[in-house]
Amino acid sequence: MIRNQRGEVAVALLLILPFVLTYGVLFLWPTVQMVYLSFTDAPLIGNGNWIGIENYVEMFDDRRFWTSVKNTAYFVVLTVIPNTLIGLAIAMMVSRLKGWQQSLILAMFFLPYILPVSVVYRIWAWMFNIQFGIMQFPISAVAGEPINVFRTQWMFMPAVAFVTIWWTCGFNILLFLSGLRSISTDIYEAAALDNASRWTIFRKITWPLIWPVTALVLTIQLILQLKIFDQVYLFTQGGRPDPSMVMVQYIYQMAFQKNEGGYAAAVAVALFVIVIVVSVLQYQFLRARGEK
Amino acid sequence: MKNLLKIAMLSTALLSVGAVQAQETVVWWDFLSGGDGVRMKALIEQFNEEHAGEITIEPTTLEWGTPFYTKVQTSAAIGEGPDVMTYHLSRVPLGVESGALAEISAEDLASVGLGPDTFAAANWEAGQSDGKQYAVPFDIHSLILYYNKDKLQEAGLLGEDGKPTGLDGVENFNAALEKLKPGSEYALSLQTSGDGTPWRVFYSLFGQQDGVFLGEDGTFLPDDSIPKAVAAVETMASWVEGGYAPALTEYEGSVALFTSGASALHMNGVWEVPTMADLTEKGELGFEWGAIALPTFFDHPATWADSHGFAIPNNVGKEMTPEKKAAVLEVISWMNKNSLAWANAGHIPAYTPTRESEEFKTMEPNATYSVLADTAVFDPKSTLAGVASPVYDAVANYISPAMNGEMGAQEAIDEMKADLQDQAE
Repeated sequence: MIRNQRGEVAVALLLILPFVLTYGVLFLWPTVQMVYLSFTDAPLIGNGNWIGIENYVEMFDDRRFWTSVKNTAYFVVLTVIPNTLIGLAIAMMVSRLKGWQQSLILAMFFLPYILPVSVVYRIWAWMFNIQFGIMQFPISAVAGEPINVFRTQWMFMPAVAFVTIWWTCGFNILLFLSGLRSISTDIYEAAALDNASRWTIFRKITWPLIWPVTALVLTIQLILQLKIFDQVYLFTQGGRPDPSMVMVQYIYQMAFQKNEGGYAAAVAVALFVIVIVVSVLQYQFLRARGEK
Repeated sequence: MKNLLKIAMLSTALLSVGAVQAQETVVWWDFLSGGDGVRMKALIEQFNEEHAGEITIEPTTLEWGTPFYTKVQTSAAIGEGPDVMTYHLSRVPLGVESGALAEISAEDLASVGLGPDTFAAANWEAGQSDGKQYAVPFDIHSLILYYNKDKLQEAGLLGEDGKPTGLDGVENFNAALEKLKPGSEYALSLQTSGDGTPWRVFYSLFGQQDGVFLGEDGTFLPDDSIPKAVAAVETMASWVEGGYAPALTEYEGSVALFTSGASALHMNGVWEVPTMADLTEKGELGFEWGAIALPTFFDHPATWADSHGFAIPNNVGKEMTPEKKAAVLEVISWMNKNSLAWANAGHIPAYTPTRESEEFKTMEPNATYSVLADTAVFDPKSTLAGVASPVYDAVANYISPAMNGEMGAQEAIDEMKADLQDQAE
C-alpha cells in the first residue's frame, strides 16, 4: 500500500491545530506580552513607553525585590523537602492498610487539599488566635505565655510553611501511594525470604524504586512553592507586609497597588527565569542521581 | 388563536421595553459595611422609593481598601465600571493619575445645586486635581475618643458637665490611663497592628505639633518635622509599653475590647458610633458610653480626617448618555441633601446646609465632637497617600512595630522616610 506522506502530515497538522492555537493565544502570546511590558513604563492598564532595561537596572537596586527573593527561597527550603518526605512517610503508613480502612484514612489526609486557601487561612488563623486559639495551649506550655505566631517575625514563615504542608500534603500522599503500589510484591517477598530488616528493605528496595515519583513530587513542589502568594498574603493582612514579602506578592503590590505594570512585569520575568532555571537544574540533578 | 397569542406576547414585550426606557438604572458601588452599610442601604431604599419609575439605584457593596480600588481601576479601564461610586477624597490624586476618575464639570454640578459654596473650602478642594473636580464630598469622618462613662466616673475623670476632663497633654493623659488601669483590663483600646488606626492617631498627634508629612518640594518628613514625628510615635508606644493598651491587636479586636467593657477608652473613627448606638438600643452594651474629640496631646487641637465622596468612573469606550448623567447627578445631589440620615452613622455631613441645620447641631454625640471639623488635618495630597496607599503600608511596616516596641521610634521614622522617598523617585 502506498502511503500518502503529505496527506498524513496535513491531517496531523490539522488535528493539532486547535491545541497549538489555544496554546499560542492563551500561553505564548501573554508571555511574549509580559516580556515586552517589562521593557516599558506601562501602568496597570494601557500601554507605556519603551524604556529599555531600566526596570531591570532598578530591580537590582531594589531592597524590596531582594527581600522578596530571599523570602521566597526561604519558603521553598521550608516546604519542598519536608512536604515530600512527610508525604512519603504517610503514604507508606497508609499503604499498609487494606480495603475501606485505607480509603478512609487516605480520604482524611486528602480532605485539606480540597479546601480553598481562604478556608485554610480562616481555620488556622483561629487555631493560632492569641485569645481563643487551641494551639495556644501547647504554645503556652512550651513558651510560658501565648504568642501571636503570625505577628512574630521569625515565626511567620515557618508557621505559614507548616500550614502549607498540612494543606497540600494529601496530593503528594496520593502520588506516592500509586508509586508504592506499582512496586511488585515479588521483590518484597524475596527480601523477606532473605531475612532483610525493615530499614534495609526501605533503603535498598522502596527508596530506589520510588525515586522517579519522588523526583516528580519534588519538581512539582518546587515550582508550586516558588509561586507562593495566597497564604503569605492572607496571613500577613493586618500585620507588616514588607518583611515577609514574597515575589508574587511583590508583583501584585507593584501592579495593583502602585500601578506600575512595567516594573511588575520585570519582576515577573525574573521569577519566570528563576522557576525555569531552578526546576531544570533540579530535574537534571534528580535524574542523574536516579540513574546512578 | 395562535395569532392572538402572538399579538399578546408582542404587546407585553413592547410594554416592558417602554417601561425600561422611562426608567434610568444607576449602577452603584460602595465599600460601606457594618453600621455604615446599614444606613447607606436605608438611604438607597428611600431614594428608590422617592424616585419610583424614574431612577433606580442598583447597589453593590465591595470590600473596603485595595480590593475596591483595584476593581474600580481595572473595570473602568474596560468600560465595565459602575455609574457612580463612593470614593475616599484622600485617594483622589492616585485615582486621577491612574485614569480611573471622570471629571465632573461645574455646570453639571450647578444643575443640581452643588458647588463650592455648598461645602467647606478644604473639603471641596480635596475632591480636585489640577483645579478640576473629580469627586463630590459627602461627609467628613475623623478620629474620636470613645469612653465608658461608668469607668471614668469611678476613676474621677468626669467633669461637672458629665464629660471627661483632664485628658489634654501627654502627661495628663497617661496619668488618667494610670487611674483607669485598676478598673479595666486595658485603660485604652486601639488597633495596634497593621495600618488604619495607627496612621490616624499618628497623623493627629503629628498635626498637633504642626508637623509636615510631605513638604512642598516633595520631601517626605522634612528635617524639622522628624522630632515631631518621633514624639508622636513615642507617645503611642508608651501606651503599649505601660500596659495601658493591648499589643499587636487588630481592628476588630480593639472594638470588641471596648464594647465588652474590658477597656475604659477607645480611639477609633466616628464610623463606629452606629455600633455603640445599636448595641445600646438592643440593651447589649452594659454601660453608658460617650464620645469626645481627640484630646490635645501637644500644642493645639488637630485630628486626622478624611472624606467619603462620590465619583464617576472614567469608563473607557462607554459614553454616558445625558439621561444617565442627569440621573447620576440627581443621586449625588439627593444623597447630600439627605445626609442628615448619614450623620446617624457618626459622620459629619459635608453639605453645609445640612451641617448647619438645627437637627444636626443637636444630634449627639456628633455635636460634641463636630468641632474637630475646624481643626481637621487631611492626608497629604500625593499619589503615594490616601486609603490603601504606600503611606498606609509604611505605617504597617514601621509605625505599628514601633508602637509595639519591636523598633525604636527614631529608627521607625528614619526608615519610613527613606522608604517613602525611595518610592517617590
